[in-house]
Amino acid sequence: MAVYERNYGRYQGEMTPSWSRFLIIPRYAYREVFQSRMFVSFFVLCFAVPFAGLLMIYLHHNLSALKFLNLPLEQLKDALPINASFFRRGLEFQGSLCFLLVLFVGPALISPDLRNNGLPLYLSRPFSRTEYVLGKMSVLVILLSLITWIPGLLLFFFQSYLDGAGWFRENLQVAMALFVGSWIWILVLSLLALAISAWVKWKPVARISLIIILWVLWGFGRAINEALDTWWGWMLSLSMAVSNVWASLFGLTIDDADLVMPIWAAWVSLAACCLICLWLLSRRIRAYEVVR
Amino acid sequence: MTVKQPVGDGRIVFENVSKFYGEVLGVNRVSLSVLPGITGLVGPNGSGKTTLMNLTAGLLRPTRGRISVLGMSADRPEELFRHVGYSTQYDAFPPGLTGYQFIESFLRVHGFAAKEAEAMTWKAIERVGLTEAAGRKVAGYSKGMRQRIKLAQAISHQPSVLILDEPLNGLDPMARAEVIALFRELADGGLHVLVSSHILHEVDLISDQVVLINGGYVIAEGDISGVRDEMEEEHPVQVLIRCDRPSLLASRVFEQDHVVEARLDDDGKGLLVRTRDADSFHLLLNEVVLANGLTIEGVAPADSDVNAVYQYLIGSNGEKS
Repeated sequence: MAVYERNYGRYQGEMTPSWSRFLIIPRYAYREVFQSRMFVSFFVLCFAVPFAGLLMIYLHHNLSALKFLNLPLEQLKDALPINASFFRRGLEFQGSLCFLLVLFVGPALISPDLRNNGLPLYLSRPFSRTEYVLGKMSVLVILLSLITWIPGLLLFFFQSYLDGAGWFRENLQVAMALFVGSWIWILVLSLLALAISAWVKWKPVARISLIIILWVLWGFGRAINEALDTWWGWMLSLSMAVSNVWASLFGLTIDDADLVMPIWAAWVSLAACCLICLWLLSRRIRAYEVVR
Repeated sequence: MTVKQPVGDGRIVFENVSKFYGEVLGVNRVSLSVLPGITGLVGPNGSGKTTLMNLTAGLLRPTRGRISVLGMSADRPEELFRHVGYSTQYDAFPPGLTGYQFIESFLRVHGFAAKEAEAMTWKAIERVGLTEAAGRKVAGYSKGMRQRIKLAQAISHQPSVLILDEPLNGLDPMARAEVIALFRELADGGLHVLVSSHILHEVDLISDQVVLINGGYVIAEGDISGVRDEMEEEHPVQVLIRCDRPSLLASRVFEQDHVVEARLDDDGKGLLVRTRDADSFHLLLNEVVLANGLTIEGVAPADSDVNAVYQYLIGSNGEKS
């Protein structure tokens, strides 16, 4: 080859689709997350309730397996029906675990990149700010999906398989509620965790902030409600808002009247939280922090 | 090696570019045309070097003016970012990654498939001489190794323009020489290598051209000697001559109109001459040496390096003199 042709060559081959590139981010994030034994133990425990649910559904249809216990099996079966309430209770429990998982993983997602001025590493490539946020969000979305709607729908299909097509048709709303309800909570928690991670550099402070937003505001909202004899205080509580939305999606009601808020207010509360988080992220996720 | 594909018009062009951060000036009215080769960007802290680099890299958009990088603009980021390799001055590494993973993961983010990314990662790591350390975590790297792995990530996707913010910081002399050789190799291959540094001597040595910036304004551009020539009229060139009879030489050169000062060294073996006409002075020096049989140990320009140019242009108070 002639000397003048011995130039620095560029890659001329095919590239991966741009929509899939954000998925590179969770790959490495998981390596770090799963290095913690405490997290691995917690994550395994997150499957305890879905597994218990699986067992209950199985036994519900195979009572003969429990004959040796000499229990009133038929009464037990009636006491624990596999219906919308069963799945809603499961989702509410898993929803609480989602919060704990986000508390563990969320604060470390964006803050290290900002602390180390690492954003130019991502944004000096064909990789947008939106893709960066999506990539970071997918770390949580995938983990949270694994403990919410995925096991929820698996249980739903298992129950449908055992009970037949009639039950499946009658309870299709439950499947939709599991899927949509889980995604709403996943989105709210993920955006909240990312926004806090983008603005709060210290992990402990970020965790305290999450606790304040989820629980202290719940208490504050309750105090407002009791003091003013209103429901408006629940607008401050994301957990109450999502609880009301879930009840609505499952076609159920909340037994305690004090915990009820209008469904439109619950949706507004969750949407407002998401919008504020997106605004906070858009203010912070930039290639360079401008110090004035 | 493959044949280089020329892109656009082959230049980085700034047309009256200004960048303001609110009311704070980043750079103002910058017009530049950067050719392939190594371009050194020199200026004190806060002068606007990083802003200029970020504008070139498409990470910042100008408040006014237009930037064209090889015919591309940041309005088409997908295309621009394929041709630009960027390394910040910061040690920005995602936690827990090895050197190999660091390069490979960002190649995947860039859009390279796993197989290509692996091959390109090893190629980049080999080029910066970190093959043996590739499996170790970046957190355990020395400062010099971190600089080299950052350089590897900047060149790994085979860019046409390399933008390196303070790339020689922390490198030991051996590593520095190797990295400078790599810059030269890349520049000789047709790349634009834009290097910022506050170590002026270093930029002088490696750059084909320099851009001197201060207070957000470009105060000079071109090759060091060219900038120096423009200064000769108002600011005489200093030449240091080491010889056996400097006093004789001083008496002869002082007769010339263009020589404004001739000063003997304290050790009596050197003469510092300030002249407004360097070419005439060198001709005269030849004549004096031949006519008087002087023994010359060395003749060296005392201020043709970028430091002197910089001192002249910026002055002690940061103002252009």
